[in-house]
Amino acid sequence: MDIKSTGSRKKLRSKLSIYNDVVVGHVFAAPFILGFVCFSLIPIWMSLFYSFTDYSLGKKEAIFVGLKNFAMLYNDEIFAKSIYITLKYVLISVPLKLIFALFVAVILTRKSRMVAIYRSVYYLPSLIGGSVAVALVWRQLFARKGLFNVILEGIGMDRINWFGDEKMALYPLIFMAIWQFGSSMIIFAAGLKEIPMTYYQAAAIEGANGAKKFFYITLPYLSPIILYNLVMQTISAFLTFTQVFVITGGGPNNGTMLYALNVYNQAFKYDKMGYACAMSWVMLILMTLITLVIFKSSRFWVIDDSEA
Amino acid sequence: MKKKTLCFLLAFAMVTASLTGCGNQSKNEAAPTDKTDDKADGSQEEVSMGEPVTLRIAWWGSQERHDKTVAAIELYESLNPNVNFEYEYYSFDDYFTKLKTLVASDEVWDVFQLGGNFPQYMDKIYPLDEFIKSGVVDVTGISDANLKTTQTTEGVQLGLTNGINTYGIAYDPVLFEEAGAKLPTDNWTWDDYKEAADLITEKLDIFGSSTFQTSDFIAGCSTYIGQQGGLGQYGFYNLDLTGMGFDDPQMLTPYIRMRADMIKKGSYPDAGASAEVTNIENDFLVTGEAAMTWVAVNQFPTIYDVCKGQGRTLALATIPKVTPDGNSGAQIQSSQMFCVSQDSEHKEAAAKFIGWFESDVECNNILQAERGIPANEDVRAALSAEATEGQQIMYDYVDMVSKLPTPKEIQVLTPSGHDQVVDNYLNYIQQVVSGEITAEMAAMKTYADAEEIFK
Repeated sequence: MDIKSTGSRKKLRSKLSIYNDVVVGHVFAAPFILGFVCFSLIPIWMSLFYSFTDYSLGKKEAIFVGLKNFAMLYNDEIFAKSIYITLKYVLISVPLKLIFALFVAVILTRKSRMVAIYRSVYYLPSLIGGSVAVALVWRQLFARKGLFNVILEGIGMDRINWFGDEKMALYPLIFMAIWQFGSSMIIFAAGLKEIPMTYYQAAAIEGANGAKKFFYITLPYLSPIILYNLVMQTISAFLTFTQVFVITGGGPNNGTMLYALNVYNQAFKYDKMGYACAMSWVMLILMTLITLVIFKSSRFWVIDDSEA
Repeated sequence: MKKKTLCFLLAFAMVTASLTGCGNQSKNEAAPTDKTDDKADGSQEEVSMGEPVTLRIAWWGSQERHDKTVAAIELYESLNPNVNFEYEYYSFDDYFTKLKTLVASDEVWDVFQLGGNFPQYMDKIYPLDEFIKSGVVDVTGISDANLKTTQTTEGVQLGLTNGINTYGIAYDPVLFEEAGAKLPTDNWTWDDYKEAADLITEKLDIFGSSTFQTSDFIAGCSTYIGQQGGLGQYGFYNLDLTGMGFDDPQMLTPYIRMRADMIKKGSYPDAGASAEVTNIENDFLVTGEAAMTWVAVNQFPTIYDVCKGQGRTLALATIPKVTPDGNSGAQIQSSQMFCVSQDSEHKEAAAKFIGWFESDVECNNILQAERGIPANEDVRAALSAEATEGQQIMYDYVDMVSKLPTPKEIQVLTPSGHDQVVDNYLNYIQQVVSGEITAEMAAMKTYADAEEIFK
């Protein structure tokens, strides 16, 4: 309005001024764009370059080695094991976490004054879950003389050597991941609210019981949200690092060597930054493929709102 | 290889010196055109007393070391008001992660701590020779043998050792007696060790020995190689650090088998239990859950005092041998050293501090040999005169070990890539425990991993 009623000089000034929508948009986006370019985009492309070199921290120049790093992955036992362990971790923890989150979300849809408090309480583990402090507590809980073993002994069972037994060590970590179901739960709870009550009323009149209501109304309606949660949780599960780094350090016998920890070890402990970059790119491709599969498969199980 | 490094160091020193000359001439121009020029120029410029100098220093260690080192630094600052320190301290792993990033950006701390892995950082060390010659660093109290611990094979003085160290086994004699196990002697063997540990586990339901971490490789496995054959015939790596120091991988097998057997039996903690031990103060020996543990002897006084507080008295034994009359395999070595960095703008001030740190009695009274036994004779005499019980045992032990026959030359350094060899070695033993592979295969694999470094 202002622009139309005044002369061309003023027009120009106000175009340049920060009141202009385009300028304002860019100003507000600038911190993100800057951060993204500096701390994500540039390092990502640099890591692609380094993945073809023998670069290590502390070295000035990186010598081009072609596909050698990728070829080395074929013979790397720990790499193979870390892929296996990571897939196991993701395949067990993500579905269980989502089921649990959905379960709690459904329970907490009841109209009660306490619901808000319950939701906050259940969300807490997710807020603090990635922290070192919680990981340290977890390590103590599952230690040889930790709380869980004391309880087991108390009820007359044998102690379990949680972190000493290669076959057991991953499960406390999976349990910890499931325990951090809060963010998925909140999203599920929001989705549940969107389902019109009239459907349930109609179903009740038709004589549907609780289970039928859940499987024929709730699940189909929630399916887009399940898809979202599935993708997000899968990605974050693949990137799990803090917990294993603090609790087990990848042991015993690499039984908890999640991929991200393996990359860290190669890059910072064993001084093979180039190799670690190559591993990161393999992970990126793997994750892209898995996400793609999830999206493609969604055609068969996600029901779009507009179709319903 | 070695010659090349030396040539490089000498060449660098010459270039630095010549650049200094150029630098001084162009000093008046405010904007230096060349970065190296600027740096070299600084190295000799800030020497004169009174000019304020800020030195950056870093080390790794335990909280006790941090407190003591900071106190020593503050003492130096009060004695030299023109010198101001910016100090940083880390745990071992974090220290080297940080150091590597600083190496990449040519910003290594003026004074920095390095251990036996220093060959990786050779390019960043500014040798002390010129400062020793000019008298800035006084080494009269340090014996040649101790100076040698931080020299290259060509005799370039890379730094001054922070302390002399060796490995031993700390044990609780009362637990041995309770179980009816034979006490360690100076000539005990690995068989005696295993027998005692197994018996203690059987009788007392605690670990015979602790812990299954990197010290198992350093004090156990690699010492085991040196104990075989003639004196100085074998070492894990060769003397030049260019290849392996032994040919037959099966020399490792008996040790690996013993280790796996003990873990299976429960007389040695498995990886999960060992992961609960995060520092020497909560080692299973200290918590009463084990009768023995590995120690680098500078750690001994600390755990001695802690156990004394619980009413227990610890003792220190040598590392077991392969045969009673065979080599001890013991190595008196530098625990770590302080070095001056090539990137420093105040090399002389940095060197002066290192000289003071190693030789000043008052300073070492604060440090209390926590980094190892002082290399300087005067300091050592002053400290041992007022030693606590635990420290006295440490001094006596090191005296005893240094009198054992040792080969003329030993290799205590580790090449880049060594960490991965050790991690894999620990994993292979776990695979032997679970029956995945045999001890022979574990030995082959460990040898192959180590060989891979030099390819």
